[in-house]
Amino acid sequence: MSAHAVANEFAKMRRLRNGLIAAAMVAAVAGLSLLATVTSPAFAAPGGRVWAVPLAAMSFAVPLASPPLLAVLASRQVDIEHQGGGWLLNQTSGIAPGGLCRAKFAALGLIVAAATVLESGLVLGAGLLLGIAAPVPAGLWLGFTGCVLVANLVLLAVHLLLAALIDNQLVGLGVGLLGTVVAVFAAGLPPALTHTTPWGYYALAAAAGYQGERLVAFTPAYPSTAALGVLAAVSFVLITALFDRRES
Amino acid sequence: MSHIVATDGLTKRYGKRAVVQNLDLRVPTGCVYGFLGPNGSGKSTTMKMLLSLVQPSSGEVRVMGRPMNRATRRRLLADIGSLIESPPGYAHLTGRENMRLVQRTLGLPEGQVEHAVRTVRMHQQLDKRVRDYSLGMKQRLGIAMALARRPRLLILDEPTNGLDPAGIEEIRELLRRLADAGVTVMVSSHLLGEIDRTATMLGILSGGRLIFQGTRAELLAASTPDVLIDGSEPERANALLQAETGSRLDGASVRVPGLDDKATARAVALLVGAGIGVHGVRRDEQSLEDVFMDLTGGGGL
Repeated sequence: MSAHAVANEFAKMRRLRNGLIAAAMVAAVAGLSLLATVTSPAFAAPGGRVWAVPLAAMSFAVPLASPPLLAVLASRQVDIEHQGGGWLLNQTSGIAPGGLCRAKFAALGLIVAAATVLESGLVLGAGLLLGIAAPVPAGLWLGFTGCVLVANLVLLAVHLLLAALIDNQLVGLGVGLLGTVVAVFAAGLPPALTHTTPWGYYALAAAAGYQGERLVAFTPAYPSTAALGVLAAVSFVLITALFDRRES
Repeated sequence: MSHIVATDGLTKRYGKRAVVQNLDLRVPTGCVYGFLGPNGSGKSTTMKMLLSLVQPSSGEVRVMGRPMNRATRRRLLADIGSLIESPPGYAHLTGRENMRLVQRTLGLPEGQVEHAVRTVRMHQQLDKRVRDYSLGMKQRLGIAMALARRPRLLILDEPTNGLDPAGIEEIRELLRRLADAGVTVMVSSHLLGEIDRTATMLGILSGGRLIFQGTRAELLAASTPDVLIDGSEPERANALLQAETGSRLDGASVRVPGLDDKATARAVALLVGAGIGVHGVRRDEQSLEDVFMDLTGGGGL
């Protein structure tokens, strides 16, 4: 994958409104997190202004907003190749289909990473503005953000491959919406089942949540998330290498 | 004569179905090579194999004297411009933005891209979005993308498809100018009339096999025009010849296909022996289109 190919992906984003979609993802996660924080009975209770409340709120908001918007981002960036004869054009210029997918992942991955960090930072900032006086649990916050980032990037890769294989944006969007349902309900599933889909890893990343009405702090499932990241990275490289050998 | 493209026994099978069989193409350097054949005859598959976008089941492709395969393709493609299937172009971007993508991918200087755009006369439409282009403009932009690398070989798959007569003439004129500038052009079509006046060499594909390769004059010479026999009893004459030659009545004449000179003499002797007066024997005039139709079984044109 060359720097030229990644630069081209950024150039192709012009008028695709990818920045707007990423901004919508940030606004949705930050907005939902803020809403869930201020409406939480735990937050209103005496001594309830603790970081676990916005962390729990964000653990709820991320799986709700991220999957469909990641699907839209990926499918828009790939669909232009189907519509514009881009696969062949790039192939005859020396960039095989797998290389093109890797370039797309690098370009969109940077945007998704920036959006993930930004949404996390905005919720943190909102917590400070809302008067949470306790020291920021920096390690936990970073760990949670890192796990969400891994899950986001894995889903981005899944949707890029799906969009490259199936020339229909509705399929990607449908899978993204289905993923939202899985992600939201994954918190209530047995851990073994949660590990079986990439959307389940949002639940495994959670740093806090409610058990009944009780606010509980969790430790994000770091080993599982790291394993997912490694497995997904290897699979992505292998699958895109297969794409490179695919005949037009 | 040096050949910029040469294939030996080039074959592509999908399962048991052979799409291209034992192709021995020879494209001379500096010519416009018209690659003709009915739809589905294997032209696009062949062109994709020449570019190593599809791997042959057997046989070899040599381009510019070097074998073309996955290992060598990247280097060779730097000297080959191509337009395969539909014209490329990102619809949401302008022509200029599309050209810039090609420029960045291939690391081309600005002047080279500008020259390619001027060659296809697109410089005044470059700031329009591709979605607002006509088909002819899209084709020309696609050719500009192919030309930007200053190719030694240009491979164009049905570039006149869907164009109106003015657009077809424009592409023809462009191909002639490119050939004059020293670019070897290989252009496919299922319509002989679209390229026979532009092409200096012709290759005709039918059912995945190369059934003719040579110049226009050689193509005409290779055909055997029908023989028309005028006589006193055309119906009886036709009845006598039909079983053996497949003759048919054509007005007051008997039309006999595929007869060489000796067979013609035998046919005349047979008629005279049967007491039929033979007043005249002549060969029908054949156009290049007739020859092409004969060779391809009427699938093209």
